[in-house]
Formats: sequence, C-alpha cells, structure tokens
Amino acid sequence: MIEVKEITKKFGLKQVLKGVSFTANKGEITCLIGINGVGKTTIMNAIMNLTPINSGEILIDGEKLRKESYEKITFIPDAITMLPQMTIGDAMQFMKDFYKSWNQKRAAELLSFFKLKEDERISNLSKGNTAKVNLLLGLGLDVDYLLMDEPFSGIDIFSREQIADVFTSHLVEDRGVIITTHEINDIEHLIDKVVILDNGVVVKSFNAEGVRENEGKSVVDVMREVYKQ
Amino acid sequence: MKNYIKLFNFELGRFLKFYLILIAITIVSQITGVIVSSRSYLSDANEFIYVNQGSMESFLEQYGQMSMHNITRTLWFLGPIALCVVTLLIYIFFIWYRDWFGKNTFIYRLLMLPTARMNVYLAKASTIFLMVLGLISLQLVLIPIEGTILQSMVPVDFRLDMSIQEVIGSFDYFGILVPYSFTQFIIHYGIGFMAVFIVFTAILFERSFRLKGIVLGIVYIAISVVIFISPLLVDAFLVPNYFYAIELFVMEIVVGLLVIAGSIWMSNYLLNRKIRI
Repeated sequence: MIEVKEITKKFGLKQVLKGVSFTANKGEITCLIGINGVGKTTIMNAIMNLTPINSGEILIDGEKLRKESYEKITFIPDAITMLPQMTIGDAMQFMKDFYKSWNQKRAAELLSFFKLKEDERISNLSKGNTAKVNLLLGLGLDVDYLLMDEPFSGIDIFSREQIADVFTSHLVEDRGVIITTHEINDIEHLIDKVVILDNGVVVKSFNAEGVRENEGKSVVDVMREVYKQ
Repeated sequence: MKNYIKLFNFELGRFLKFYLILIAITIVSQITGVIVSSRSYLSDANEFIYVNQGSMESFLEQYGQMSMHNITRTLWFLGPIALCVVTLLIYIFFIWYRDWFGKNTFIYRLLMLPTARMNVYLAKASTIFLMVLGLISLQLVLIPIEGTILQSMVPVDFRLDMSIQEVIGSFDYFGILVPYSFTQFIIHYGIGFMAVFIVFTAILFERSFRLKGIVLGIVYIAISVVIFISPLLVDAFLVPNYFYAIELFVMEIVVGLLVIAGSIWMSNYLLNRKIRI
C-alpha cells in the first residue's frame, strides 16, 4: 500500500500542498482528480522522491522510498523519460540494463499490442505513440505500483482507447495504480478509488463503484458537485 | 559499482560524437598548421636564398630556425586547444542541464534508477575527467607526430628539433594543460577536478532551490575557494613565511581533498533530499 500522510509542499511563497493524505492499494486503480495546478504532479513527484516535501510522510508498503524501491514502483510522467535520439529498442535495452524487474517478454507483448516498432526513433514519435512508449517502459517492469501523470493528455481518441484497454488487461492486474488526470471520461469505468484535490487539500475521497451503485452518480457528477461548492 | 560503470559508459556514449569531432578538428588543424607553417618558412627561405641571393646563415640570422616552438604559437595549433577547453567548460554545465530541459526529461529516468543517485553524479564527473585526460593524451601523441612531419618537410640545417618536454616548456600556457612533472600534474589536475566537483555541487544547489540556489551555489563556490586557499592566506597574512614550501604543498593537498570530500557529501545530500524536477 502507498500511504501519503499529511504532506505539505511550498514553492517559494505558494503553498501547493496543505496536508494531503490518502492511500492507494495494490490491485486498485486510484485516480487523483483536480483542475490544473492543484498539485497532482507534485504529489506524484513527491512519492517518487523527485521533489522534496516540507512535512508529512510517504510510505510504500510501510517503508520510506529507497533506491531499491524503484524496482517495485515506477512513475510514468507526461513527458518521455528517454533520450530523443534513442530508438524504442535502445530504450528497452536501457531498462533491461538497469532494472532487475524488467520483463522483456511483457515489453515485447506491449510492443506488439501497441503496434510499435523497435527501430523507431523516439524523437519521431507522435504524441500518442510517445504515451504508448511511456506506458510500455512502465508496464515492462514487474513493479507492484505504477504512477501515471496525465496519460491521456493531448493524445488522439484511438490511442486513448488503446491505452485504456491496457488497464482492463492482465498487464495491469494485481498492480496498484495511481493516475492523475482531469480528463476522467476515458477511464471512469476503470477507477476503483477517487481522490479529489482542490487548493492543495483532499476535498473528497471515495470508492467509485460505491458512489455509482449507492448514489447513482458518476465520478464526473461528484467532481462537478465538489467544484461548484 | 556495476551500475556506475554502466552509467559512465552511457554518459561517454552521449558525448562521443562531439568528442570525436573535437579530436578530428584538433588533429586536422594542428597537422595542417605544421604543413602550412613549414611551407611558409621554406617559401621564405627559397625567396631569400634563391631569389634574393642571400646566404643560408643570414637567412637563419634573420628568420631563426624552424621548430615546434614556432608551430605552437599559431592559431592552427592553439585554436583547437581553445575550442576543446571552451567546449569542455560548457559541457560541465550542459552535462546536467540537458537532462532537465527539452521535451524529453531524461532526469526523471536517471533519478528513478534503482541505484544510488551518487552514481549518476560520479558517472558525469568521470566523463568530464576522462575526456579532459583523453584530449591531453591526444596532444602528447600529436606533438611527436607533428615533430616528425616538421622534420620530413624542413631540412635539418634549417630546423631545431625539440623534445616533448622542450615543446611544452617553451610555452607557459601550454605547460598548464600538459604538466611538466608529476607534482605539477597533481597540482594542475587536482585543482581542475576539484573545480569540477565544486561547480557540479553549485549546479545541484541551483537545481534544488532554483533562484535561491543560484545564490547558494555562488556562496558555496566562494566558501570552497576560501577554504582551499586558506593555507596560503595563513602563510601570507597571519604567520608570514612561517611554512616551508613542501609544508604548504602538503597542506594544500589535504585541504583540496577535504574540499572534494565536502563537495561529494553535499552533492549526495542534495541529490537524495533536495533535488527537484
């Protein structure tokens, strides 16, 4: 389980996070929702120790993040994390060289699923294919937790559908996933848990299925209610 | 260790193309310089002796003998050295900043590798060191080759053959790059490598605290310099001429090692606790 406990973060004079707490379980898809600038990416970066927090605590399976933790948790930001001059094959080789948890078989499966070619240069990829390569490099690792920042941002509808299909496949099974997005429609039916952020705090956290069944509301309905207040 | 070597190899690969271009420019420019300078000298000699009917002795009196000393003062020779120095100085900054900027933010990947972040730092530092030493080695190999070309072009009566040491010793600034003795090597390259560590730490201050980090980085550099020259300051102002030269030398080495250790420790702290994407 990923536990985010009362984290705060200030950039200069601006308090971006004001005591954010939530948990994300293995085998569940947790979605951090909020309008632009509420601190979703900062939370992801903080979980991965890519930005220091001012106070609070983040635990992964009860432990603070260590270098070994990167074998069981990975982050897919909305920019590609490989060099533009690399080919997809080079990027996969890089992952294989550095990560014990790299699963070449699964990566090859994803390559074929996304209809990508190993010799394609990263700099030549479209936005949609860049998102797919990002996903491939993340899902190619045998990690327990996967963090994704705006995976659907700025990509075409077919790529969105393909990426959304991955979430219902065995490729994501049993993993804990945290997604940040403000484009909820594509994955609403996939989400287990929703954490709505506003102005640096968690304003509502709920089980998506529960809200759908008990209140007959969609995640977007709840989001509208929260932001109207 | 294995991951450090992989990262080091990776960093080398990223700059290899430019590095090979620098090597090619240096070789082509310096050898061209030898050929052009030798031909120009011979042309002057021909004109003086055959056209103006002057004697060889009076030509040599007027123009002097041709040697590597003449070559090392030409733009053909110094230009590529200056280019390499400037490129590597810029690369000390570029080696970090290129990973943050642009649409492909490779720093995400580097900081999420399942290895100590210090390996990333050491791999980048080692790359700079290896490239500097590589270019110096190239120069040391080139000087005798250039000497041989000079010998093959200029008749023995018109030239002065010089050893590598004489070539290096004949030009002060060149002596900084290619030390004359092992002690000089320790001093020049020790200071150079220490400066790289200090600048790396200053860059990490900036990457951790952004605008505030620029000030912190500058203060850090100033403190490091003051610490490093503190034995010299003590000897100059507090107890004038109290220490023997060898004592000052040993003190400088110890203080230099402390400054390097401090830089590595601070960089490790910044990379693990303060760095920001």
